[in-house]
Amino acid sequence: MATFPGEVQGGSTRERAQSALAGLDWWLLGSAIAVSGFGVYVVRIATEGDIASDPGYFFTRQVAYTLIGLVALFFALRLDLERLSRYVWTLYAILIAAVGIVLVLGSSARGSTRWIELGPLRLQPSELGKVVIAFVLAVIVVERLRTMEPARLSLMVGAIAAVPAAIVFLQPDLGTALVYAAITVAILWVAGQPITHFIVAGAVVVTLVALVLYVLPAAGVNVLQPYQVDRLTAFVDSGADRSETGYQLEQSKVAIGSGGAFGKGPSGATQTINDFLPEHHTDFIFAVVAEMFGFLGAGLLIAIYFVIIWRCLVIMRSAHTQLDRLMAAGLTAMLAFEVFVNIGMNVGIMPITGIPLPFMSYGGSHTLTNLVAVGVLLRIGRRGRELGPRTK
Amino acid sequence: MSTLTPRPPDLPPGDEPRPPRRRDRRPPRPVLRMASFTVAVLLLLGVLVARLWFLQVIGGGDYQERAEANRLRTVITEAPRGAITDRNGAPLVTSREVLNLVAEPRQLAGPEGDAALRRLSVALGHPPGYFAAKVKKAAEARPFEAVVLDEDTTPELQAYVEERRAQLPGISLQAAYVRDYPAGATAAHVLGYTGPIPAEKIDDYRNRGYLGNETVGRAGMEAEYEQYLRGIAGREQVEVDARGEVVGRGILSQTPPRPGQTLRLSIDLKVQKALEVALRDEVRGSGTSTGAAGVAIDPKTGAVLALASYPTFDPKVFQSGSARDVRRLLTSPSRPLLDRAIGGEYPAASTFKAITATAALESGLYKPGEIIDAPGSVVLYKTRFKGFNNLDHGKIGISEALEVSSDTFFYEMGDRSYRVRGWPLQDWSRKFGLGRPTGLDTSEGESSGLVPDLAYKRRTCDRKVDPINCSWRPGDSINMSIGQGNVLVTPIQMAVAYAAIANGGTVVTPTLGRAVVDADGRVLRDLISARASRPLGISKDTLQLVRTGLRRAANGNGGTATPVFGALPEQFRVEGKTGTAENPTGVDHAWYVGYAPADDPKILVAVVVERGGQGANSAAPVVCRTIGSYLGFAEDRCGSGAKVN
Repeated sequence: MATFPGEVQGGSTRERAQSALAGLDWWLLGSAIAVSGFGVYVVRIATEGDIASDPGYFFTRQVAYTLIGLVALFFALRLDLERLSRYVWTLYAILIAAVGIVLVLGSSARGSTRWIELGPLRLQPSELGKVVIAFVLAVIVVERLRTMEPARLSLMVGAIAAVPAAIVFLQPDLGTALVYAAITVAILWVAGQPITHFIVAGAVVVTLVALVLYVLPAAGVNVLQPYQVDRLTAFVDSGADRSETGYQLEQSKVAIGSGGAFGKGPSGATQTINDFLPEHHTDFIFAVVAEMFGFLGAGLLIAIYFVIIWRCLVIMRSAHTQLDRLMAAGLTAMLAFEVFVNIGMNVGIMPITGIPLPFMSYGGSHTLTNLVAVGVLLRIGRRGRELGPRTK
Repeated sequence: MSTLTPRPPDLPPGDEPRPPRRRDRRPPRPVLRMASFTVAVLLLLGVLVARLWFLQVIGGGDYQERAEANRLRTVITEAPRGAITDRNGAPLVTSREVLNLVAEPRQLAGPEGDAALRRLSVALGHPPGYFAAKVKKAAEARPFEAVVLDEDTTPELQAYVEERRAQLPGISLQAAYVRDYPAGATAAHVLGYTGPIPAEKIDDYRNRGYLGNETVGRAGMEAEYEQYLRGIAGREQVEVDARGEVVGRGILSQTPPRPGQTLRLSIDLKVQKALEVALRDEVRGSGTSTGAAGVAIDPKTGAVLALASYPTFDPKVFQSGSARDVRRLLTSPSRPLLDRAIGGEYPAASTFKAITATAALESGLYKPGEIIDAPGSVVLYKTRFKGFNNLDHGKIGISEALEVSSDTFFYEMGDRSYRVRGWPLQDWSRKFGLGRPTGLDTSEGESSGLVPDLAYKRRTCDRKVDPINCSWRPGDSINMSIGQGNVLVTPIQMAVAYAAIANGGTVVTPTLGRAVVDADGRVLRDLISARASRPLGISKDTLQLVRTGLRRAANGNGGTATPVFGALPEQFRVEGKTGTAENPTGVDHAWYVGYAPADDPKILVAVVVERGGQGANSAAPVVCRTIGSYLGFAEDRCGSGAKVN
C-alpha cells in the first residue's frame, strides 16, 4: 500500500486514529459535525408528533445514519484517490448498473423509486453516485487535459456524465440529475476549459428547458411528469398554483416568514408541529429552522454553510494534485449547489426539485454521501497542507 | 515543478510533464477560475440571506397572521332558542336538536368531491347534480362556510352517512336546532315564525352581536321577544393541524353557548284552542264567510288569553317548507298570514252603541230616565234613516235601547251630538282607544282603525265632484252613532274599549307576553305589570246604565243575544253587545263583544266573522264557547243565535 507523509502504517488503533485526525481542516470537520448534530436535533423536534406510536422514529434513524456517516467519513480519510483511479471504469460501470437497476425496479413499481432494498436498508445509489461521478470525471479530465482537444474533452466528459444523470432523471429524480450536472460543470470550469464551452452548454440548456417545459407540451409531448412541471414552475407564482406543490411552497414561506427575526421556538412553531409544512424533516427542514429560530437562527445556519463551502474552496485551491483539485471542485460544487437550491426552494426563489439540505435533511443515503464527501475533502486538504500545491 | 516535490510512485497520467506542443494552447488560469467559483458561492448565499431578510424581518408580520389563521379555528356551537309557553307553562314552541347534513365546500373540490355529492344526491332521491349545484352556489357567496344540504335528517340518512364516511369526504352531520310546535298550528299568528336574517338586515343584526347566519324571529312573539328568546352561540377557539384536527393545547378560549330564555305568554292554551275551533267552525259552517278573528283578554289587566285569526297557517312552513309552500301562503287571496284580530279593520256597527251611549250620557246629550220614541225609521234633515229591519221599539230609555239595539234611538243621539259644540262621539271613541293601535306587544301588524272627523272628511273628499262632502254633516254623526259610516275598528280595539266598561273605567294595554322565565320557571322579568293603563273618565252612573244595557242585551227579554246567553246561570252571566256591520260588497260582518261573569268580569271576548251575517247568529256563539272554555261551562249551554240584530 502506498504511504504518504502524515499517514502511518500499522501501530495501535489509537495511534492510527490519532494519525488519521492529525492535520485535518478542523473548520470544515467541526462545521460539518455541528450542522449534522443540529440537523439531528431539528429532525427530532420537527417530527415528534408525526408518528403517534413512535415520536422518535425519524430521530433514532437519523442518529444512526449520522453515526454511520461519521464512520464512513473516517474511512474516506484513508481513501487513496490515485490508487482508485485505476478502477475508474469499473466504478463507472457499477454506478451505471446501480442506478440502472433502480430505474428498472422503479418502472415495474408504480411511480418514483430511488432505492434498492438491501434487507432492512434502503440504499439510494444515485446519492453515493454523486461522489462517484465527481471522481470519475476528475480522473478522466486529468488523464486527458493535456492530450485531448478541449472541445472533444468537454463533449466526452459531458457524455460520460450524461448517462448516469439521464438514468437518474428517468427514475424520476430531477434534483439529483441536476446535482450531477453541477458537478460536471464545476470540474470542467476549474480544469480551465474554454469559456465558450460553458456559454454553448448554457444556451443548449436554456433551449432544452424551453422545449421541455413549454414547446413540447404544447405539441403534445410530455417529457416531464406533470408534478415535475408543477414543481419547476410553482416558484414563479405559488399563489396562483393550487396544486400540492404550490401549497408546499406557500406553507414554507408562511413558516419562514412567521418565524420573524428571532423565531417562535421549537414549541411555538405551529406550521411545523401542526403539519401545515409538509416534508418538514426532508426537503423543507430549512423552513423549520427559520420558523423556530427566526432570521437569527436561519442566518447563522447559512453562515455555517458559508464556512463549510469556504473551507472546501480553500482545500480546492491548495490541492496537491490536479486530481485532488478537480475532485474537490466537484464535491464543493455538489455541496454548494445543494445548499443553494434547497434553501432557495424553501424561500421561494428556486424551483422545487427535491434536493435535500446537506447535513440537515433526514435521509440515510444522502447523509452518508455528504459525510463521505467531507472525508474525501479533508484528506485532499491534509495532503495539500502537508505537501503544498503541486499544481497552479 | 515535478522536480520540486516528492513524487508518489503511482503518479496519475495527468501529472505527467505536458508535451511541449500543447503548452501554448491551454493557458492554465486556475486561480481565476477558482476565484470566480468563490465569488459565485458568496453571491448566491448573499441572495439567500437577503431573501430571508425580506421574508422574516420585513414581511414577518403578514406571515405571522397567516400562520395564526392556519392554526386557529373558531368553532361555533349553536345555542338553542328559548321556548314559548302559555300562561300555565304548556309548551307552544320548543327547540329540538337535530342533525343537519352539511358539506365543506373547500374539502369537496375536485373529482372525489364531485363523486361524493353525486352519490349523496342519488341516495336522497335528487337528480345527480342537485347537491353539487347547491354547494357551488353557496360556496361562491361564502367559501369558508359549511353548506347545509339537508335539515333535520332522518335516522336512516344519518346511518347512511356514518357508514360511508370514507367515501364522503367533506360531508358531515352537524348538530343544529329547529323549532317544534307541540300544539301544532295553534296560535300561529301570535307565535309568528323564525327564519334566516334577511339579507338587507344583516348589518343591523351584526351590530347587535349576531354572526349573520343565525335563525331569528321574523314575526309575532318570535320577533317581538327576540332579545330574550335568542340563544347566544358558543365560541371555542381551538388549535388545529393541517388535517383540521384539534391538537396540542386544544381549546384556547371558550365562550359557552347560552340557551335562550323561556317566554311565558298570557295566552291560555285551552281558551286559545276553543276560540280557534269556534272561529273555524263558524267560518266553515256559514257558507259565506271568508275569515274571522277573535281576541280574549282579562279585562282587568289586559292580559291576552287568546288571539286568533282564521284562516291560519302552519308556522313550520317557514322553517322546513318548500319555497312553493311559502309563496302560496304569501299570495293566497284568503290572506292567511294577515292577523285579522289586530290587523283587520271592520265597521264597528252596533257594538259601537255602547260608546255612543257613554258619550251621550257623559256629554249630557241624554239625561238618565229620559224616554225617547224609537220607531222603525226616522226622517232627519229630509233624509230617512232606517232602523234595522224597521223594527218599532216604542218609547224606550238608553239601557233598553242597548238591549234591543235600537238604531233610531241612537240616530237621535247622533243628531244631538251634531248639534252641540265639540265632538263628543270622536272624543269618546278616542278615550276608549279607537283610532290608534292599542299598543299590543307584537312587533308589527296592528292597525289603527279609523275615527272619522272633519279632518278625515277634508282629507278624503273630492272637492270637484262633491265639495259639500268636505264638511262634517249631520248624516255623518247619525251614521257614526251606530258604528257605521266610516268608523273602522279592529277586534283588539273593541276588546280594549269594552274592557274599560267591564273593569269599571280603566283603559288597559293588551299584552301577550307575561314573563321571561328561566329553566326552572323562575320569573326573570315581568312583562305585564308595568304596562300602561289610563282612566277612561267615566262616571259610575253612566257605567251603571251602559252595563245594564249590555246585560239586558245578552239576557233581557228583548236582548239581541239572549238566545245565545240567556240560559247561562248567574255565575256565568254575560254582558255584551252584538253588531252587524253593513258590508257593501256582500254579506254583513258579524260582531260580538262580551264579558263574564257580569259581577266580576274575568274574561272578555271580541269576535268578528267576516260575511258572517248577524252578530247574534254568527259571532255571539263563538264568544259564548270561548268564555265557556275559560269559566268552565260546556258549549252546549250556549244558545244558537237569534233572528234579530
